Parts: sequence; C-alpha cells; structure tokens
Amino acid sequence: MKQILSGNEAIFRGAIRAGATYFAGYPISPTSEILQQAALYSEEESRFRFLQAEDEIAAAIATISASLAGVKSFTATSGPGFTLMQEALGWGHVVEAPCVFVNSMRVGPSTGMPTQPAQSDLLQVKGGSAGDYYPIAFYPNSVEESFRLTVTAFNAAEESLSPIILLADAFLSHLYEIVDLDVIETEVIPRTKESLGRGRRLFTGTAHDKSGNVKTSDPANYREWLRELKERHFRVAEKYPLYEYLPCKNSETLLIVFGITSRIVSPLKERFSVFRPIRIYPVLEREMKEVAASYRHIIVVEGNDGQYASWTEWAIGRKVLKVPCLGGGFKFQWIQSQIEERLKEER
Amino acid sequence: MIDRSYKELLKMRRFPHTWCPGCGIGAVLKNVAMGLKELGLDYQNTAIVSGIGCSGRMGGYMNFDAVHTPHGRALTAAGAIKTARPDLKVVVLSGDGDLGAIGGNHLLHTSRRNPDITVFCNDNEIYGLTGGQAGPTTPKGTKTITSPRGEMYPPLRLGKILTAQTPYFFARTTVYHLNHFKACIREALLYQGFSFVDIISDCIELNGRRQGFKTAHQMFKWFDERFHVVEGVRDHLEDDELGIAKKEAEVEVKAGAKPEMEEKPEILEEDLKHYTIEELSHVDGSEGRPIFIGYKGKIYDLSSSPLFQGEKRMRCHIAGKNLTKDMEAAPHGEDLVLKFPVVGRLKE
Repeated sequence: MKQILSGNEAIFRGAIRAGATYFAGYPISPTSEILQQAALYSEEESRFRFLQAEDEIAAAIATISASLAGVKSFTATSGPGFTLMQEALGWGHVVEAPCVFVNSMRVGPSTGMPTQPAQSDLLQVKGGSAGDYYPIAFYPNSVEESFRLTVTAFNAAEESLSPIILLADAFLSHLYEIVDLDVIETEVIPRTKESLGRGRRLFTGTAHDKSGNVKTSDPANYREWLRELKERHFRVAEKYPLYEYLPCKNSETLLIVFGITSRIVSPLKERFSVFRPIRIYPVLEREMKEVAASYRHIIVVEGNDGQYASWTEWAIGRKVLKVPCLGGGFKFQWIQSQIEERLKEER
Repeated sequence: MIDRSYKELLKMRRFPHTWCPGCGIGAVLKNVAMGLKELGLDYQNTAIVSGIGCSGRMGGYMNFDAVHTPHGRALTAAGAIKTARPDLKVVVLSGDGDLGAIGGNHLLHTSRRNPDITVFCNDNEIYGLTGGQAGPTTPKGTKTITSPRGEMYPPLRLGKILTAQTPYFFARTTVYHLNHFKACIREALLYQGFSFVDIISDCIELNGRRQGFKTAHQMFKWFDERFHVVEGVRDHLEDDELGIAKKEAEVEVKAGAKPEMEEKPEILEEDLKHYTIEELSHVDGSEGRPIFIGYKGKIYDLSSSPLFQGEKRMRCHIAGKNLTKDMEAAPHGEDLVLKFPVVGRLKE
C-alpha cells in the first residue's frame, strides 16, 4: 500500500520490520515523533515495550540493557541528547550490545538552533565517548532509504555486536514522501547473542578477559581485546560499503555530499559528478580514493565546518574544496554560488 | 553446622576479593547470597546489576549473569532488563555514591516507575574506591579528604526521598545488626515492586581511620549508638531508626465511585513449613541463622526484634524453643509474640 510517510515514521517502521521490541527515548526535536510512535505502538502490540526515560543518559542505558536482556532495542535523539548518550555508547561497545541509536542532527553546539537542520555530529559519531572504539554509522537521504537502512543498521548491530548509529537530519526526519513499504524486501538477521539469565557472565565496562574476569592492569589482554573488536567491526563495515556514485561526462569536478545536501544539490548532477557516502563511518577510504582519482577538483558540501572534508582529505591524500553550510542555511542558489566561487579560486 | 550452600552462588575461585580487610561489603555479599539461596534464586532466574565503586564489584564475584553499568546507571539498566525479561528476578548491588549522587536522577524516576527490582545499597557514607572523598550520605561535619574542615552540607536522606511517593518499600539496616539485616534482605527480595535496602556499612580504611576508629568493630559499636531497631512495618523511619517502611499505592478515588480495596494474597496455613521441636532448636540465632520460637502450634520469626540484635543475639535464651507454657510465667502478654511474622507450624 502506497502511503505518505515522514523520515521519522519510516525509521520507526524499519525498526519494527527488523524485529525491534524495545524503544527508550526522551523528547527532543526533531525525533520526538519516533518516541510518540513507540508510545502508540506499545498500546497496540503488547510485545513491544517502550520507556520515556528521565533523560537521554537513561534512554541510552536502557536501550543497551534491554539488548543485553535479549531483545532488539533502539533509541532516537538529536545532537544535545546524543552528547548525553556518549557514555552509554562507549559502554555498549565494551559489553557488546547489539542495538541502534538514531541521531537526527540539528545545529549545534549545545542547544544550537532548534530546530534547524545540520550535519555536524560526525565527529561525535566517530569518537564522542572515551577511549578507542570503532562505531559504524549509516546516513540515508530519502524516506524509503531511511526504512531500508534502519533494517541494515539492526543487521549490522547483530553482526558487529555493537550499537550502530543511524544518522538523519532535521530535514530528513520531517521530509514526507510517498513510499510503499509492503514491496520493499528486506533481509533480517535474528538475534544470536544469548540473553541474560542463561549463564554466569559479567557484562562490564571495565577491561576484562574472555571469561569476564576484570583485568585492570594487563596491557596484553587489552591489546588482544581491542584487536578483536576492531577486526570484527571493520569486517562488518566491509560488508556494507554503501555509497551512490553518479558520474557526469566531461566533468572535472566531483561533489561529495550526503544526507539532505545530496538532495539539495541534485539539480547539479547534470554538470558535476556526485559521490554520496551512505556508510559515513568507517570512512569509505578505498572507494573514495578510486572515484576521486579521475577528478581534478573535489568539493565537499556539508552541513558543518568541514568535518567530512577533513576525513576525505585523509582518505584520498589530497586537498579538497569545502562548502560548509552553517546555521541551517541549505539554500540551493547559495550552495551553487559557493561551488562556482571555490572553482574560480582554484583556476 | 553452618549452611554453606550459598557459596554455590559465589565465584569462589576469584577469592580473595579486592576489598580491604574489615570492609562491610563482604558481609553484604555473603548475606545477600544467603538470602538469594534461601529463596531458590540462581543464575537461571536472576540477573545481578551493579554500578561503579567498591560495592559495584560485587556482581563480578557472583555466579550470575551480572551487568556492571557505567557510574550511576545501575537502576536504569535494572529497570530495562526487568521490562525486557519480566521472568527474571533483578537485583541491584551498589553504593550510596552511585545510587544517591551520580545516579540520583535515576533513583527518583526508577522508584517512581516502581519496577519489580530489589536494590541493596552498601551505604558506607564515603567514596571508598577513589580514596575517601565525602559522599552524598556523609554526615554533616565528617572530615574527609574533600571536606578537611568537616562536611559542610547535610546528608541526602534516602529514607525520606524513597518514602515520598507510594507505593514504596524502604528498609534501613546495618551490617552489624545481623538478624535484622537478614530479615530486611529477605523481606526486600520477597516484595513485589521497587524495594530499596539502605545498608549502613563500614569503610574502615578510607573513612573510619580518619575519624579515629581503630577497628571495624569500633565502627560497628558506633552504628549501634547512632541507630536503633524499630519493630514491625512502619509508614516512615526516622533518620536514626533501623526497620522497614512500607506502604501500598494510594487508591485513586474517582468522584462518586467507591474505592476498590486491593486483595492481599493470604498465606495459607497448609503452605507453611512444619517444624519438629528438634528442627526448631537449630533455628536459634546462632551462626547467623534467624531466631524462631514456637507458640501455640505456630512458629514465629523474632529475628527483627530489637531485643536480639548485635551481641545480645548470642545470649538469646528463648530462641529455638517452644514457649507456649513459658508465656504464663512471662511478665508480658502474648501480643508481644503475635506481632511477629508466622513462618511455620510446629509438629507436636
């Protein structure tokens, strides 16, 4: 059945398709609709449990704890809430809890400009919690893709045994499009991790060995643990090298865009080649390098002051041009003029 | 013979444990394990959740699936686990700093939601693991390394906070008043809903010594001076009282409607365990066992009586006996016995 759905609704439906039965959240624009949907759905479906927590710290901890208890769980928030969730994200990686964190970005830092869209939480996604860990993050650009990628995120969570981050932005969350979810086929990976109450394990954020004994002063044990975690996460990330590449004949310039910016610059695809990373982190290093090799100019258009641009420079090993769309300013004409200006400066 | 079967619930190969000699956490771990064992709780039907701090390490010594959360988040984790797996008994083991300070917001809201979880708070009135900084329950005036002139602020009154909204179960006990301590653990584990046991415990190395105590036992004596046991179930506990405060949810009265009385499940006579005189004589309060007495064919549990706490427990001459005949000679009436819980029947 065709229907008009928002990005937020599609994310929620995607989670249900993936088999999620637990949601914890705290009201925040622009993802409050997901919380509302969860509340309504828990009335209809008794298997589905929902918690409106006292803050995002509790929402995130509850999401991970429910996952340890054996259910597929998720939470949704925006930048300031995502900051509060960083503690739990670090914990979730160490206790190996498969779950999904949705972060729909708005202008920051702090409260920022509620609720203007932005794409400025990339660094927070990569390493907002203490220590070394290797998160996997996806970023759709349409309502239908929000649905598909939510399922993908749940699958990647089961495979990597970690919280997966699904990015969105205030535009995408409130973007309404016509979709037919019934015809979208998805593969769902079931839960395999054993739930609580079956063993004598210790799920701890403290460094530990394989049998759950705390090891607070054993560098060799830590190195081995981190190596395994890193290997597993990169192996799962490799399984999802998601991107979209639209080459344009005779173009010497490649635009790198993602999420809502990719929708806004789409009229320019007649003039420029476009590369859209969907797996935002780990960075699509090899793929980007291959694509970028045949272009003279690389321009990253993004809703922050060059976060992905610096990752791109690191990945392809050369300078890129930046068009930062700050303060929620995503006007097409402005972006177009900025691109022209950057190219003029280069000539 | 002391019943040592509780040791099945502990990871004995991980001993000796990490805590200092004289620390009260050992007593908490042991008695909670005994309480769990007594009620038939094990790794297949129970999950342990702990926070950060010395007390948070308890989960790692137990033969259960244990979740060791970030600092302060034990209650949130426990609530979510109970929601996702209602079949599991969920027990939280943590400390005053974890539950009262960094986890304070979660304490307010988890208790408000009243999930069926049991919380044992090792309340040693100090941040022990980090070296002895003042904690949320440190009494005013106490000198610690972060309150060199004495703690400036009054302590957090856990008992007042947790009895502000019904329904509630709040118990305060100490690691010294052993029988009372055991009775509180048992009652809390049996309670349906959010039950919180504030266990006044000692940290001799990082709190006691700075205050001039030479041994853990001196701190126990100090607990005995500061607190006294009150009998039966109360609505509220004063700050110096040890006991159980419990209240059912207030029934909302809609205009024009009669309040519905909730039916309390009655304990049926045939469900009670039968004791012979011989069996009864073993439950005499010695070696940490409860104090049972027989009276008119029934067995009463006197463990929570203030008359039999601390060292007096050992001198309790009536424990483990059938006192039906003795009552006539006693200077008091039978009402003194009848107010204690009936735990069994006496085989004549």
